[in-house]
Amino acid sequence: MSNLSLTRRDFLKKLALGAGAITVVPILEACAAPAAPTTAPAATAAPTVAAVVSPTVLKPSAPFKLGSILPYTKVYAGLGESITNGMTLYFDSVNNTAGGRTIDWIKEDEANDAQISLQALTKLIQQDKIDMITGIVNTGIMYALRTPLNDAKMPSVISNAGGNLLTRKGVNGNLKGLYSPYIFRCSFSSYQISNPLGGWVAQNVSKKVAICASNYGFGTESVADFKATFTAAGGTIMGKDILPPLGTTDFSTYLPQIAATNAEAVYSFFSGSDALNYVKQFDQFGLKKTMKIVGAGFLTETDVLPGQGASALDAYTTLHWSTTLDNPTNQKFMADYAKRFPNKEVDVFAMAGFDAARIIVEALNAVKGDTSDQSKLLDAIRAVTFDSPRGTFVFDPNTNNVINEIYYRQVKQNASGGYENAIIGKTPQPIKDPENV
Amino acid sequence: MGRPVRSPLPRIPMLNLTPDFLLIQLLNGLSSGVLLFLISAGLSIIFGMMDVINLAHGSFYMLGAYFGLTILRVTQSFWLALILAPLLVALLGLAGERFLLRPLKGRGHLDQVLLTFGVALVLADLVLAVPGWGGTVRALPAPPELAGSIPIGKGQYPVYRLFAIGVGLLLALILGLIITRTQIGAIVRAGVADAEMASGLGINISLVFSLVFAVGAALAAFGGVMTAPIVSLQPGMDADTLIRALIVVVVGGLGTLRGAFWGSLLIGEVDNFGRALLPDYALFSIYVIMAVVLLLRPAGLFGRKT
Amino acid sequence: MPRQTEILWAIAIAIVLALIALPFVESTYVVTTVTEILIFAIFAMSLDLLIGYTGLVSFGHAAFFGIGAYAAGYLAQMLSPNFLVYLPLALLITAACALVIGFFSIRVSGVYFLMLTLAFSQMVYAIAFNWTDVTGGSNGLSGIPRPQIELFSLQWSFEDEISRYFLVLAFFLLSYAALRAVVRSQFGHVLVGIRENETRLRAIGYDTARFKLAAFVIAGIFAGVAGVLYAGFNRFVSPGEVYWSASGQVLIMVIIGGAGTLVGPALGAALVLALQNVVSSSTERWSTIMGLIFILFVFAARFGIIGLIAQIMEGMAVRLRPALPKEINGHPPN
Repeated sequence: MSNLSLTRRDFLKKLALGAGAITVVPILEACAAPAAPTTAPAATAAPTVAAVVSPTVLKPSAPFKLGSILPYTKVYAGLGESITNGMTLYFDSVNNTAGGRTIDWIKEDEANDAQISLQALTKLIQQDKIDMITGIVNTGIMYALRTPLNDAKMPSVISNAGGNLLTRKGVNGNLKGLYSPYIFRCSFSSYQISNPLGGWVAQNVSKKVAICASNYGFGTESVADFKATFTAAGGTIMGKDILPPLGTTDFSTYLPQIAATNAEAVYSFFSGSDALNYVKQFDQFGLKKTMKIVGAGFLTETDVLPGQGASALDAYTTLHWSTTLDNPTNQKFMADYAKRFPNKEVDVFAMAGFDAARIIVEALNAVKGDTSDQSKLLDAIRAVTFDSPRGTFVFDPNTNNVINEIYYRQVKQNASGGYENAIIGKTPQPIKDPENV
Repeated sequence: MGRPVRSPLPRIPMLNLTPDFLLIQLLNGLSSGVLLFLISAGLSIIFGMMDVINLAHGSFYMLGAYFGLTILRVTQSFWLALILAPLLVALLGLAGERFLLRPLKGRGHLDQVLLTFGVALVLADLVLAVPGWGGTVRALPAPPELAGSIPIGKGQYPVYRLFAIGVGLLLALILGLIITRTQIGAIVRAGVADAEMASGLGINISLVFSLVFAVGAALAAFGGVMTAPIVSLQPGMDADTLIRALIVVVVGGLGTLRGAFWGSLLIGEVDNFGRALLPDYALFSIYVIMAVVLLLRPAGLFGRKT
Repeated sequence: MPRQTEILWAIAIAIVLALIALPFVESTYVVTTVTEILIFAIFAMSLDLLIGYTGLVSFGHAAFFGIGAYAAGYLAQMLSPNFLVYLPLALLITAACALVIGFFSIRVSGVYFLMLTLAFSQMVYAIAFNWTDVTGGSNGLSGIPRPQIELFSLQWSFEDEISRYFLVLAFFLLSYAALRAVVRSQFGHVLVGIRENETRLRAIGYDTARFKLAAFVIAGIFAGVAGVLYAGFNRFVSPGEVYWSASGQVLIMVIIGGAGTLVGPALGAALVLALQNVVSSSTERWSTIMGLIFILFVFAARFGIIGLIAQIMEGMAVRLRPALPKEINGHPPN
């Protein structure tokens, strides 16, 4: 990948040797045999002096080093691939250059593991000396990386992790707000997606709604955001919240409980395989005949919709994008994507990667490739605006979170027999995420 | 709404404990239990007979499902997938036993753990690397003739799950008969009791080991194909299933088919009702049951006392 | 003989000096990586007290690492960022948990012990996941302050990587020394006796359950030490730290390093983490490579890294082998 990784590998080889030296003691203790030849490994530990790294001189002509942390293994591997594809598509379209500098993109695996991601971040910052970072799918991992990113004053363009706290400011000494002036998010927050849904459901779908959501931070946060506007608009929550653990494959335990609430609709927060299984089993257990599904758009996103098929039909969801969004930028994006990546369906994650790459390029162009003055660079990111597949892209300067137009969508069958999220409306104004916790 | 039942325990959500509701929940527990049996049966016998902790057993389950997916795509037949995928995995199991496990004979559990963990890592990554398999979550639809639901009380129940229960119980019965009534079953039982003595009786024990290992792998793969229409395929399915199967094996007792069977049903039902009754601790209930069983009966429900 | 002891001491001192010199000759990245390795080395050594010495294969040791880390993170945020205040408190909490879990776990042996410890660690995981007010739930505890030491008028804050490295190094050396003292004491010999033949020890009047429980608690405390250091190092703790896969990782470190020696597991930690760092950033298919390396180890390095080194040093292997357990599988021969 990067040409630096070679040197780094050498470091680690030495490191392993150095550690090897530690072993010598007990071995010798254990065997108490002549020990003459064993000084060698101990000697290698010390003189790995080679590593005097000269400070990077920031010349506009030097390559711009972009680090990314995205999942390529474990459960979110598909999302990592989508985001990477979207980024590749945009970077290719500008010949991998911005502001006169080539973009040297160093990829690390998020692996759905905070410890591995923290190691990757350390490597990117301390070893590769990146100028900027992007990616991060899992909100929990994002919260783990937030402190070191903020400490390192690392400009960050987050392309998924949607937990509300990331761009919120803590007031009155509240420790929970994780806003950082260096961290931007170009994807969404859970508030932006689920808050506009509540009132709309109460008015247009039903005032008797049950709740079923993945039991983890992002799921319960989304439920709260939905409830706030739903009850304010006169809706009633039926029964207790039903919260299956994240990663549930068999929802058969929960489906009879949902049926027992006698609600007319169920707000459902699931994504990935959970969403696929939930929607299919909801139909298999006959609930679809009496209840409508409403939820955050990930429930029926294109990564799971083909597997859900007719089971997803008529589900109402909100999201900041859809394949059916009829604007020229989106049409071109989807056509280009299909041509470049024929084996991978375009989805909202690919769109976020595409936009993240564009934000990075636009900001670099704005400062003409000169990243030496960090406040200028951050200002340039904050000011980026362009025509995105989702509509006009613009950051909220108070929170560094994207301001999203939210679309109301319903799953319908298209002309070719497949299923898609048809757009049936949108929020009157674009949605800003609140500034404070 | 039916009358909510007052419960003496705190934090239990008010559920509609109608007979319908209970019946459906019982069936849910039963369907996941019998499917779990297919995976844990092989694990338990292999453990009891060969003294092998096979952490790659979940990978057999996963590979079965993904082979099934490909066979279904090519042949459009779920039934062919259900037959061919286990055969392919059985061959893989044979090779693994012959070339990886057998050379480790007499080396202790820690080496087996490291070896089979390494194999599981490689296989999980293989699934991600094969185009059309990993990365994205995949659905394997039930055969059209079993796709619908039938009414049970006021609710509906998917036909496929009833079919899965039937197949699982039938297989359990067949396996039980083989173990208790046939000569090969007698050899396996002798092997579990004392492998050295069995070989002393002139039985080609390493051939029996190979066969048992292959059958165990095939059963897990069969379970993978059977489960796929219910829960879909995704990276990580191997590890989750392995842990559940290990729990079944120790709860039932190492090396007993009966233990694997009743252990599977127990874990299936406990997991299901645990999720319904103590939703906050859904991840927790099967571990509590395992701990309780082990503290009361340290060798599992049907295990021999050591 | 005295000459050999002198050589051993010379080598030990050379290694310690090399570790002390490391930050002055290597880049920050290497220093940070070695810091993490040392933390996990403490963790792996603590587990080996159970596996390698007592013959108890635990599959839930991450529980104590996690309890130590959560307790440290919570106390550092809520009570005091003073390391000298929250370290002992966190260790006390870890020890109490280890006492309770150990009390039940040691009643069974072999694979049943392995699964029972797994069960308890998963219960700890469920608590970490659900007790959101204290643990932050699935989002974890973030923004944990860096360790500080305040003693009378002395103040020392571990702001930079190098000072944190020395803090961790000090704890690594202390832990090694302490565990070494444990395994070489009369108590340690009884543990090895339990591994080799528990029935015999019981027959000659040892209350082996007490010894096993004590070993379990000591191992838990040192896992807690690693956890406390980890909280200050990463400034973040999440339920992932107590999940079964974390217990599996440290188990692999012990096996690959060579169970039954203290330095083996430390080396195992170094190898696994170094590999993870290198391989994961050079290819997406890094799991395959890690898996193949593990398989290779089983066949090529019978007693882990430590056995490999012994094999390389001709002649020594003969003396080393008997010092290693012939077979550690959690089944003490009865």
